[in-house]
Amino acid sequence: MRDLFRFLFRIRNTLLFLALLGISSVLLYNGNTHHRAEAISSSNAIAGTLFSWRKDITDYANLKEVNQRLVAENANWRNRHSSAYAPVEDLFVRINDTIRRQQYSYLPAKVVNSTWHKPRNFITLDKGSANGLHDDMGVIGPNGIVGVIRDVNAHFASVISVLNPDVKTSVKVRRTGHFGLLYWDTNNPVTSSVVDIPKHARVHAGDTVVTMGGDGIFPADVPVGMVLSVENPPGRQDQAITVHLFEDMTRSGFVYVVNDLQRAERDTLEKEHEAP
Amino acid sequence: MIATLLANLLRFVMLLLVQVLVLDHLDMARGWMVPYLYVLILLMLPFELPAWGALLAGAFTGLVMDLFSNTPGMHMSACVVMMFARIHLLSLIAPREGYEYGMRPTLPRMGITWFVTYASLLILVHHLWLFFVEVHRFDSFFQTFLRALLSAAFTLALCLLTQFLTSRQERGRA
Repeated sequence: MRDLFRFLFRIRNTLLFLALLGISSVLLYNGNTHHRAEAISSSNAIAGTLFSWRKDITDYANLKEVNQRLVAENANWRNRHSSAYAPVEDLFVRINDTIRRQQYSYLPAKVVNSTWHKPRNFITLDKGSANGLHDDMGVIGPNGIVGVIRDVNAHFASVISVLNPDVKTSVKVRRTGHFGLLYWDTNNPVTSSVVDIPKHARVHAGDTVVTMGGDGIFPADVPVGMVLSVENPPGRQDQAITVHLFEDMTRSGFVYVVNDLQRAERDTLEKEHEAP
Repeated sequence: MIATLLANLLRFVMLLLVQVLVLDHLDMARGWMVPYLYVLILLMLPFELPAWGALLAGAFTGLVMDLFSNTPGMHMSACVVMMFARIHLLSLIAPREGYEYGMRPTLPRMGITWFVTYASLLILVHHLWLFFVEVHRFDSFFQTFLRALLSAAFTLALCLLTQFLTSRQERGRA
């Protein structure tokens, strides 16, 4: 017994090393999934505040360009049909209509931190649960989809970028209607892959890919990207499609968070059927 | 003792700020070179720090880094592995008469050959572990390997630069 304790004491550093490695592995395997990651993500108060200070400083460098893009986008909104509207307040706007029921509302948010050159990329927004955000909301930019909210605190939200293989979004080819999953395995911030589109679907370079909708995250027909190349690798059931993303992920200044107003209703219904 | 502690804490804050606010946003060669200068915090810890202290310092630094980069556990594991390697490497490459008390693993104190050997090996361990954990698969082995090598070279260059720029203060502080 004594020898055992002496032995354990002698290898105490190795034991500590293994224990710490164990803790980090637990964090690694539990933390990086979609929902969990409570404390250790950039939506916590310290990291969020620091990143928003940084953004306050770096914002001055590209004010001109941001203004031009906002002006262009405003013009675009004005040209739309009257049923479309621009968000005017910092809370989700709800419009009551007796003929149509509004399903989605949008909240503008500022990107305070983002990466695009890593194998898994994240974005931090300057709005949080105080503005009505919660996890699993879609985030879209002026040109196309940006990501999905993973975690929120009172004033910040952490978003899994579409440049992250952990998020797969349902998309469809607008012309043919075939649907697949947007999956980032290209390691290139301007392109992404679409998987699970069967080989008989005649998809060509130049086709537009849009979101499927109906998943409670993104509305239908939000632009995603344009097909760059289509390949038929042998031994695979689906085509290897590469798309060029419409949204330039390396420069997302302002984005919109999508709130599905019927989400709660749907979730309760689905849960009732899952329960037994 | 207190002075050493304060110097290390100051270095911890400064280097982490530089890492999180500047270096993490560098897009060098489309992600082929990602510098992690924050490892210099761990490289410059004093020799007389006991092994358990070194391991815990590594775990803590990695955890703070994870907090800022949305990667729970990733930097922590890489730093713990690096600190474990450091414990063994320090006894391997010790000078013949051993380390004197108060001697610190810095470039002006230990000379360029010793420092480059020490820093490059540990940075390589850290980066290889980090990049392979990050991509989480082996199917693009050489691509990840090359990324780790290039990034390690970049990190080493930044470490040497930092040491050259701050070496005068180091000598005065002892």
